[in-house]
Amino acid sequence: MRILIFSWEYPPRVVGKLSEYVKALATQLVSNNVDVNVITYDDIATGLTKDSTGVNVTRVSNPVRTHIGVLTWVLTLNQEVERAAANTYYSANKQIDLIDAYDWHFIPAAVTLKNGLGIPYVYSVESLEDHRTPGPNTPYNMAIKSIEWLGFYEASGINVKSEWMRDEIVRIYKVPKEKITVIPADSPTWLTDIVKFYSEIDGGQVTK
Amino acid sequence: MKDLTVMMLSWEFPPRVIGGISPHVYFLSKYLAKQGVKVYVVTCDFPDTPSHEVINDVEVYRIDSYKNPAPDFASWVYLMNLNMQKETAAIARRIGGKIDLFHAHDWLVADAGIGLKHVFRKPLLVTMHSTEMGRRDGLHTTAEKMIHETEAWLTYEAWRVICCSDYMISHVKWAFGLPNDKLFMIPNGVNTESYDAVTCDFDAFRSKYALPQEKIVLFVGRLVYEKGIHVLINAVPKVLDKVNAKFIIVGSGYMKEQLLNIVRSMGLEHKVFFEGFVDEATLLKLQKCADVSVVPSLFEPFGIVALEAMAAKSPVVVSDTGGLSEIVEHDVTGVKVYPNNPDSLAWGISKVLSDENYRKRIRENAYRLIQEKYDWEKIAQQTGKLYESVLGEYSKSFWA
Repeated sequence: MRILIFSWEYPPRVVGKLSEYVKALATQLVSNNVDVNVITYDDIATGLTKDSTGVNVTRVSNPVRTHIGVLTWVLTLNQEVERAAANTYYSANKQIDLIDAYDWHFIPAAVTLKNGLGIPYVYSVESLEDHRTPGPNTPYNMAIKSIEWLGFYEASGINVKSEWMRDEIVRIYKVPKEKITVIPADSPTWLTDIVKFYSEIDGGQVTK
Repeated sequence: MKDLTVMMLSWEFPPRVIGGISPHVYFLSKYLAKQGVKVYVVTCDFPDTPSHEVINDVEVYRIDSYKNPAPDFASWVYLMNLNMQKETAAIARRIGGKIDLFHAHDWLVADAGIGLKHVFRKPLLVTMHSTEMGRRDGLHTTAEKMIHETEAWLTYEAWRVICCSDYMISHVKWAFGLPNDKLFMIPNGVNTESYDAVTCDFDAFRSKYALPQEKIVLFVGRLVYEKGIHVLINAVPKVLDKVNAKFIIVGSGYMKEQLLNIVRSMGLEHKVFFEGFVDEATLLKLQKCADVSVVPSLFEPFGIVALEAMAAKSPVVVSDTGGLSEIVEHDVTGVKVYPNNPDSLAWGISKVLSDENYRKRIRENAYRLIQEKYDWEKIAQQTGKLYESVLGEYSKSFWA
């Protein structure tokens, strides 16, 4: 199995808890014979690196330095994520089984790669805009929510860490419950469950 | 030009008309298709217009451009690009990836063009119709800097950068630090047929706008700083000192209220009409009726509106700047005046309006010029040749 993982944080860049989680997952997957290619953001250490963990990490930075906010920053960065993903895709003879996209940041890239190259993606949810920014909707967080919605709508599978999160996604985005798989990070069968989740993703029409 | 497929990305395509990109992409696509190029256009939606149709053998796809709520214009552009990119990727996949190149028009489709280039590994061409630096006369805000950097990124990613005038070539070269061999000049075109085809009772049509003794001075353009409309408004009383005229302003923009106030304070509401947007048929007739068409721009990458006036056989007065300087030869095909100078502009307008023989001569010369140089058939041929040379270079690259 060859997969791409999209995450806006990966060590040494640590913004929240996602960074260490994705690193642990990627490393464990490699030891289970999955070819793991992480595409992440970094402003200093850009390019492809392969360290002792065996994870291929491509760090991209944003070619547009000046931004009016996180939204435009994220949206322009997605083209660099696509570039890195396409480079992996073409050098792997177009054999990528799956993209695992963490949170909303790189959903635009995942959606384009799905529609353009027929690579299915799963959306792994660490947090939702509704919880990060509670209160009345502004056009700014509505824009982010619309990207989260697109992420759920286009995904071939959704992965969350708790039943609470699953129910929140059902409540806020009206996603059918059975589209969401709950895999707690502290479960003893965590890794095998994730590998099982990946292998059961049916790309269906996406891959045809 | 057989077996060549191009995917054009443009944020406007008729009937969605915001500026000059819309007619440009319309005619370029039409005449490329006439030469046998397979052209797809992906553009933004417009009310009561189908999401897919074939116009002049061109496949036109209109995407839902207001799918995501946006806090401001620039964010809207990037969000629209998300959807445009996704839809274009799906179309490209549906046709088996049989695309030879992507052709993007301005930063408004930068993200989509750049992303698609990498996803499909096909060359990207870009036409820079304008720049943020030029539009704003410098970069003053964070948003303007961001747009400028997006433009720089787009020209960096492009295989070739097309500009419509020598002036724009040197401007773009300087603004983004591009090498000469990446830049390519292909002029903008104008379609004389649509003007020649206009028939109506011009006297009756004219009487809706002006008295028989009043000459018609026409301005067509967005009411924004760079178009120099305020210079024209300030020239109005100076012209009226010499000639009896009616000023008709077509177009809209953020300066409208301010301009209306100036006109009111001069007590000239009966001499200056703000028409707002008018439909295509009315615009063609107005251009044909105009005794003079004025293009007082402070920044003008090309100046298509001057060419349109020439095609309508209306004499032109333009400010001596940017692409306008290249189009108009003073005293031969039009009158050039000093930019941002109401006295000079009033002099030019009065000169044209008060000498009928002069008017006739520059009109005829101008019409001949556009038939020789700004014909869409020739422009599409030049564009097709550029496509072929880019594909020749591409075929030797490791992407091929």
